[in-house]
Amino acid sequence: MQLIMRKWLDRLFSFSAYSAIGLIIFVLVLVIGPIFVKGLGAYLFQGTIDNRRMMLNQFNRGDEGTLEVEWMEVKQERKSIYDMFSAFEKELDNMSATQRKTLKPVYKNIKEAVAVLIGPEPGAQLPALPRRIYGQTRWDRAQLKAKDVLFEETWDYSGAEGKKVLTPRAPLFKGTALEPLFPKIEKNLSQLMRPRLTFYPQFLTDKAIDAHFFGGIGAEVAGTIYLALGAMLIAVPLGVIAAIYFKEYAKEGPTLSFLRTCVNTLAGVPSVVFGLFGLAFFINTLHVSPGKSVLAGALTLALLVLPTVIRASEEAIAAVPHTYKEAALSLGAGKWRTILTVILPAALPGILTGIVISMGRAAGETAPIIFTAAVSVGPLVMPSEVFTTPTPALSWNLYNICTEHEAVEEIRHVQYGMAATLVLIVLTLNALAIVIRAKVSRKLKG
Amino acid sequence: MKQTEQFIVSEQTQRQRKAVAWLGRSFLFAVTSVAALAVLAIIFFIARDALPFFSGARGWDFFTSCEWYPTATPPKFGAGAIFVGSFIVTVTAVVLAVPPGILAAVCLSDLLPFNIRQIVKPVIEILAAIPSVVFGFFALVVLAPFMQDTCGASSGVNALNASVILAIMALPTIVSVSEDALQAAGRELREGSYALGATRAETIVKVVIPSAVSGIFSAVLLGIMRAMGETMVVWMASGNAAQIPSPIYNLLQPVRTLTATIAGDMGEADQMTGSAHYHVLFAMGLCLLIFSFLCNLAGEWIVTRQRKRLRGG
Amino acid sequence: MSMNASALSEQFHTHIETKAFSVFYGAQEAVKRVDMKIPQGQVTAIIGPSGCGKSTFLRAINRMNDLIPTCRAEGELLVDGLNVYDRGIDASVLRRRVGMVFQKPNPFPKTIYDNVAYGPRLHHSYAKRELDALVEESLKGAALWDEVKDRLNKNALGLSGGQAQRLCLARALAVNPEILLMDEPTSALDPKATARIEELIVQLKGRYTIAIVTHNMQQAARVSDVTAFFYEGLLVEFDVTSQIFTRPKEKRTEDYITGRFG
Repeated sequence: MQLIMRKWLDRLFSFSAYSAIGLIIFVLVLVIGPIFVKGLGAYLFQGTIDNRRMMLNQFNRGDEGTLEVEWMEVKQERKSIYDMFSAFEKELDNMSATQRKTLKPVYKNIKEAVAVLIGPEPGAQLPALPRRIYGQTRWDRAQLKAKDVLFEETWDYSGAEGKKVLTPRAPLFKGTALEPLFPKIEKNLSQLMRPRLTFYPQFLTDKAIDAHFFGGIGAEVAGTIYLALGAMLIAVPLGVIAAIYFKEYAKEGPTLSFLRTCVNTLAGVPSVVFGLFGLAFFINTLHVSPGKSVLAGALTLALLVLPTVIRASEEAIAAVPHTYKEAALSLGAGKWRTILTVILPAALPGILTGIVISMGRAAGETAPIIFTAAVSVGPLVMPSEVFTTPTPALSWNLYNICTEHEAVEEIRHVQYGMAATLVLIVLTLNALAIVIRAKVSRKLKG
Repeated sequence: MKQTEQFIVSEQTQRQRKAVAWLGRSFLFAVTSVAALAVLAIIFFIARDALPFFSGARGWDFFTSCEWYPTATPPKFGAGAIFVGSFIVTVTAVVLAVPPGILAAVCLSDLLPFNIRQIVKPVIEILAAIPSVVFGFFALVVLAPFMQDTCGASSGVNALNASVILAIMALPTIVSVSEDALQAAGRELREGSYALGATRAETIVKVVIPSAVSGIFSAVLLGIMRAMGETMVVWMASGNAAQIPSPIYNLLQPVRTLTATIAGDMGEADQMTGSAHYHVLFAMGLCLLIFSFLCNLAGEWIVTRQRKRLRGG
Repeated sequence: MSMNASALSEQFHTHIETKAFSVFYGAQEAVKRVDMKIPQGQVTAIIGPSGCGKSTFLRAINRMNDLIPTCRAEGELLVDGLNVYDRGIDASVLRRRVGMVFQKPNPFPKTIYDNVAYGPRLHHSYAKRELDALVEESLKGAALWDEVKDRLNKNALGLSGGQAQRLCLARALAVNPEILLMDEPTSALDPKATARIEELIVQLKGRYTIAIVTHNMQQAARVSDVTAFFYEGLLVEFDVTSQIFTRPKEKRTEDYITGRFG
């Protein structure tokens, strides 16, 4: 082949290799970027007066005095809108039948949309569901709901695919009592909602109100912590002891190979099969708990991370310089003494790295806990209840609120918040592991 | 006199010490066995709850029929389409992930300078640490609308969506294991090729990759295992329609996988522990387990064959 | 630094010449401003204690040091009058003309045939018959043909150390270089294999210009025509081999030869 050709192929090859790396980094940013950015929106957002009222009523948070003052003003504004409705209803009765036929259904939609936007009429009887008691708590959602008031949504199927068409409703009500409603909503929305930058760090710890419409993800965070900690409490002693046995005591032979193969096979088992096993064995056979529970989930997760703990511990023990062991033995220390006082402390950073990474994995897994520990709706589980009670968890509930929830679109910010929190927990654990690893290599290099 | 006495230990003490040592050793062995034999327990209990389904002589239909109506009366358990769904999604994910994966590994092992490599490696590992449910969320909220708006798919959740996400999840494993294999080829091998006048691309493609082929194969195998065993992503992104796409290469149609079926159906089925529905889900679990065993065996076979080859044959 | 340059360059054409040639690893100067003329068709041995820069110098001739990111060269290194560090020179082409055999035999994990054919296939396309003849000739040149002619399709990794090194030599010969660089080619081999390689070196000279780095002074005395003594990056003495070993001009050379250090 011509030299020039070869040079060009070489450049092309290098280019594709660099592009592959670039692609991976691009994908990483693409996946994590929006999650963090929008997830931040669960903790820091423009909150409306309804948000502040809700916080005060449900969580006893906020200054009652200042809120009362603000609420007085807003009440006036909102009452005026409901007065418009009363006035218009009277007008409706006096309209011709045809007019009524066109306007009444649209009016009903408008009334419903306004109730969603600003809540029920101030002073009227409060609905049962918390989500109906208040208007929109977030400014971004309020602006969206305002569109629902102002525009009628229809579908245009004239083209190849249906296109959404928004027709303004204002012209329909020109000359009626309802006419001032539209400019008020369009231009004076902030007066009605009073958006203010709200910092809500308690999103991490608050309980969820009315299926996550309000409140935070405290129960889920607690559940994830219980499960991850529980899994490690079980897996670490088992794993480290097994690693010590493999590296320090076992003799080469068929038994050792068999045990090793078992551990390697365990590493390859799909996560959902662990869940099935947890159901069939821990719950249905051993009856560790009457039904799903944190205990059963932790046991199942422990099995999942066990191979990783064993491998990391084995590597850490193997990396301890031979000379340490020889020195201890030559000073008269017994085998077990040597392991306990010399080898394990030296291997500790490596073992810790493995533990921290496994904890991150346990926190993020969903399939093993679906049948063994997780519930979609539930209160915060108390430490005393972990042996008997199932728990919400970040991983499972993220799935739940973005697929099986009744109002998936309404709580997008909660979904992003949950996803971001989960990713942050896992990444922090991994970063911790890297720091530990870096400290180790620095120590070894002297 | 006193000193020699200290060296000689009484027989009784010796026996005591030996007994204690034996006890300690046995304890360690017992604990290790529990950890290791967990896998045997898994096989046993999954098989135990799966066999009642097969003993009902429904085995043939399970694999070949596509009529999956587990809640109908009488229920039909034809999981053929579900097996095909798992297969399609796994194969597509691997096909999408392997070329960029190997190229990225090459970049890490041969092209990037050491400093940059130290930064890029952890970055790729971040991708590996992201929980699968978060990937599923991304697939649902970002990728699905994108597919509907831009690619004109009738449904944003389909085989392609799931395959793309699975490929992204399998990439870090493929990159990392392949990179280890490429590094292991050694500096001398590369130097031998360069000294004959080969370009970098020629050296990598003609000498380094062929020598690392078994490691790359292991990497691909691990990628396959990851894709096949993944649950949340396919549950959220594949559309969950138990049908074979027509034509079969139309990836923009929804499919259903074994893992998603188990996760999705067990919620209802576990109320009826002991029902046929419960057992058929365990049967699916057993199939997944057997598949992972076969992959493990293939992996071990590759490693042994590589060892034999290095000894010269 | 003394050179019996006049005597040497009168008899033989200078194949490789360096002028104030230095090699740096970052800030460290491993080869310091070397002026040297390597004669054509002769065997030049490069000796010196470990760390004196002899391998670095050798690898600079076929620009293998380019593979090390922190490495850079200054001064001129001319092959047949052409500075190989010039911007327009392509390293691939250079390495076809300047072959190298390494300290540790490094056959590719391919068949014996494919190992030898690898180099030629890169640069030209051959008909099967041509390639077969080329492989045979190269293996004969490395005195390996008789031992492997019946198993050309077997994996090269099954060869013994000495055979593998001869295979690497055959591989280098197959691209028809003019210069052969050998970096301690026998240090990983047993005495019998070493002797065979040394025989080959003596056979091959004349047709090829050979430069061999060795820490084994007896080997240098046995096979080479001229010897260069390096010490701490400097070319201390460069002379006809018999002179270096019987009447060295520099004290450092004499100290090394007599074993006072290194």
